[in-house]
Amino acid sequence: MSLENCFRILAKYYPSFLLGIRTTLIVSLSGTLIGLVIGLLVGGFRAVRLDKTAPKETRYLKNAIDISLKIYIEFFRGTPMMVQAVFIYYMVYTNIVHWDKMIAAVVVISINTGAYMSEIIRSGIQSVDPGQNEAARSLGMSSMQTMMDVILPQAIRNAFPAICNEFIVNIKDSSVLMIISITELMFQSNSVAGTTYRFTETYFVTAMIYLLMTSMSSFLFHHIELRMNHTKTSFPQSDTNFYSMKIAKEKTQ
Amino acid sequence: MSVIEIKNVKKSFEGNVVLSDISFNVEKGEVVCLIGASGSGKSTLLRCINLLEDIDEGQITVLGQDIGKLHNINEYRKKVGMVFQQFNLFNNMNVLDNCMLAQTRVLKKSKEEARKEAIRQLEKVGLSDFINAYPATLSGGQKQRVAIARALCMDPEILLFDEPTSALDPEMVGEVLNVIRELAEEDMTMIIVTHEMKFAADVSDKVIFMDDGIILEEGTPFEIFNHPKNERTRQFLARIIS
Ligand SMILES: Nc1ncnc2c1ncn2[C@@H]1O[C@H](COP(=O)(O)OP(=O)(O)OP(=O)(O)O)[C@@H](O)[C@H]1O
Ligand SMILES: [Mg+2]
Repeated sequence: MSLENCFRILAKYYPSFLLGIRTTLIVSLSGTLIGLVIGLLVGGFRAVRLDKTAPKETRYLKNAIDISLKIYIEFFRGTPMMVQAVFIYYMVYTNIVHWDKMIAAVVVISINTGAYMSEIIRSGIQSVDPGQNEAARSLGMSSMQTMMDVILPQAIRNAFPAICNEFIVNIKDSSVLMIISITELMFQSNSVAGTTYRFTETYFVTAMIYLLMTSMSSFLFHHIELRMNHTKTSFPQSDTNFYSMKIAKEKTQ
Repeated sequence: MSVIEIKNVKKSFEGNVVLSDISFNVEKGEVVCLIGASGSGKSTLLRCINLLEDIDEGQITVLGQDIGKLHNINEYRKKVGMVFQQFNLFNNMNVLDNCMLAQTRVLKKSKEEARKEAIRQLEKVGLSDFINAYPATLSGGQKQRVAIARALCMDPEILLFDEPTSALDPEMVGEVLNVIRELAEEDMTMIIVTHEMKFAADVSDKVIFMDDGIILEEGTPFEIFNHPKNERTRQFLARIIS
C-alpha cells in the first residue's frame, strides 16, 4: 500500500466518495433525529407512573403498551442492524409497497436508533432528582405536565452526551446499510475498490473519511456541550458563576 | 370543623412500621410544629397529607374531604402547598418561571396574570430582583424563599413545611424563618416540621412531639417546652437545646 496511490484514488474517484459522504450524513442525521423523537416518546411514556386513582382500564392499557415497547426495544437492540435492514426492506417491498431504498434505510436506522434512544432517555429521566417530580406534583401538576415541563428538559440535558454519541455510532453503523444498496460511503467504496482493484488503498481512504467525520462531530458536540454549561441554564451546582458573584458583591457593598 | 383531621393513621414500608397510630387536628389559621428525633416519621406524615405517600389504615380529612377517596388528586394538591428541605426548585427554569409554571398549567391563568402574581409573591419574600436568576446561582436561603413564593403563588389554604431550614447554612436560617413567621401572622394554616425549637416556640399554636411513629405529647409551646410531661420529650429537648 502506498499513500501516493491513496491520493490518486481520491483524486480520481472523489465524486463517488462525496456522494457516499452525503448519503451517509443524510441517513445518520435523519436517523438520529427521528430516533431521538421516537426515544422521547417511548422513553417518556415508559417513565410515566400512573396515579393510584387512575382507572383500571387506563392501568391495563398502560401496562400493555409498556410491554410492547419493551419488546420493540429488546428486538432492535438484540439483533444486528444489517439483519433488520434486509428483513424490513424485503418484508415491506414484497408485502406492502415497492419502496425507495433510501427511504427504507432512513426508516431502519431511525427505528434502530429509537430503541437505543428510548433507553438513553429513560436513564436520563431516572437521573433527574426525584424531588423535581415531587415538587411539581405537590403544586398540582399532572404526571404528563410534570414530564413535559420539568423532567424531560432536564433528562435531555443530562443525556446530551449519550444522544450525540448515537449520531457518531450511526455514522459508522450506517455502513451496514450497503446491504440494501444505498449510496452510502461503504457502498460507494466497494464500487471504487471493485473498479480499481486497489482494495487496501481504497478502504484506507474510506477509513480515513469515516474517522474525519466522527472526530469532527465529536469536536463539534464537545463545544456545544461546553457552551451549554456556560449559559445561565447551567445545571451543575456552581457557586462561582456570574450571578452568585454579583450577589456577593451587592452584599458587600 | 377542623381544616385537617388525622384519625388513627398507620403507615409502614415493607413491614417497617413508620406511623403506628397518629391522630390530631389542625384548625383554620393554626400553626402546628412537628418535632421529634430523626426517623420518627415526621416527613412521612407530611408526605401522607400531600398524598406523596398512601396511608395503610386510618383516615385523613382535609377541608372536609377524605383524601383517600379523591377523584382528582391535582385539584386537591393545588390547595395544599409543600415546601421541601432540599428546596426542589425546577433547575431548568429561572426564578420567575418556577413561580409561573403551575399557575399557568394548573390554575390555567394567563401568562400576564401569572407573572403579576409571581412578582407579588417574590416581592413578599424579598427576591423580586432575582426573577431572571437560575436556581443554581442562588444561595440556599434564597432558593428556599423562592420555593415558598412558588407555593404561595397557588394561593393554597394550607402549607406544609418539611424541615425548611435544615439544609441551610446557619446565617441563612433567619431569612427563611422570618418569611414563615410573616405567614403565621397572616393566619396561614401551616404544619411545620422543624428542629428550630426557639422558632417553634415563637410561632406555633400547637407543638406535637413524635417518637417512633406515635404522638408522645401534644400541647401549647409553653406546655411542651417548659413543662414536658413525658420523660422522652424531656430527654429530646435537653439533647436538642444543648
Ligand atoms: N420510601 C420509603 N421506603 C422505605 N422506608 C422509608 C421510606 N421513607 C421513609 N422510610 C423510613 O421511615 C422512617 C421514618 O422516616 P421519616 O423520613 O418520616 O422520618 P423523619 O422523622 O422525617 O426523620 P428526619 O428528621 O431524619 O427527617 C425511617 O426509618 C425511614 O427509613
Ligand atoms: Mg424528615
